[in-house]
Amino acid sequence: MEKSSTMRRKEFYQLASPLTEKLYQLAYSLVPDDLQAEQLVIDSVNAYLLKEKKWIHNKHVDLLQKKEVGILRKMIFKSLIRYLGDLGVRRSGQLGEQSLRVSGPVEFSQFFSLDPKIRLVIRLRYDNHFTVDEIGDIFNMPRYEVIEKIHNGRFLLLNDLNKGEEI
Amino acid sequence: MIERAPTSDRNYQKKITAYLDGALSTEERSEFEAFVSTHPEFKDQIKLKEDEIIRLRSFIPQVTMSPSALETMNHEIRQSIFQLLKRKPKNLWENMKDRYEEWASNR
Repeated sequence: MEKSSTMRRKEFYQLASPLTEKLYQLAYSLVPDDLQAEQLVIDSVNAYLLKEKKWIHNKHVDLLQKKEVGILRKMIFKSLIRYLGDLGVRRSGQLGEQSLRVSGPVEFSQFFSLDPKIRLVIRLRYDNHFTVDEIGDIFNMPRYEVIEKIHNGRFLLLNDLNKGEEI
Repeated sequence: MIERAPTSDRNYQKKITAYLDGALSTEERSEFEAFVSTHPEFKDQIKLKEDEIIRLRSFIPQVTMSPSALETMNHEIRQSIFQLLKRKPKNLWENMKDRYEEWASNR
């Protein structure tokens, strides 16, 4: 059997490029503006590449092994989310949450009124279908904290919805 | 008199949200699923919670990128990868391989 070689740039691109749109959606949850979200994705990828260069260079990969590609792609996705979360939460704060709430899409004002980290966790859980443990692993967050964020986000969203129905 | 569900049922009722949130451990999950399989009336309650999750999902903005925006962004990401993951070639052969890879990626 042929031994897999260390990852080349082209191979890394093949692994990472299908993640672009998912990363964009996550970024948009933090900064609800097309250009800001695109910039956040690019900055997160750059930060990841600079920090994880050694790991990428030493990683062996065989792109013909579909299962291996899936596992590796998910691993890269999780790491990219970590960088995107760190940068995005900070950026969201710098841009001013208040202005984001105003400039964000009106139909999703309830979602954007949540704390940025809660928005991210809610999207990861209910849209990207990550488990509580996986989310905890991504953000290096204890299990109870992830559950608390999911619970709070869920409560605030559904509570606001009920208010709307009463009106 | 209000009829209360048996304690074991109440314990499992409390776990429905956690089950759907993926917050149960593997053992708890298996135990919960085993209980539900023997208590079909629980399925309605799970369905109610599932509907709640569907409503919750409707609050999450679903944005898609235009094909041109996606292409532009992928181009930028590719450039970052090729610039930031550059390594010092060990010999002439590796140097040639790197140059070919860069040339091929820009085609």
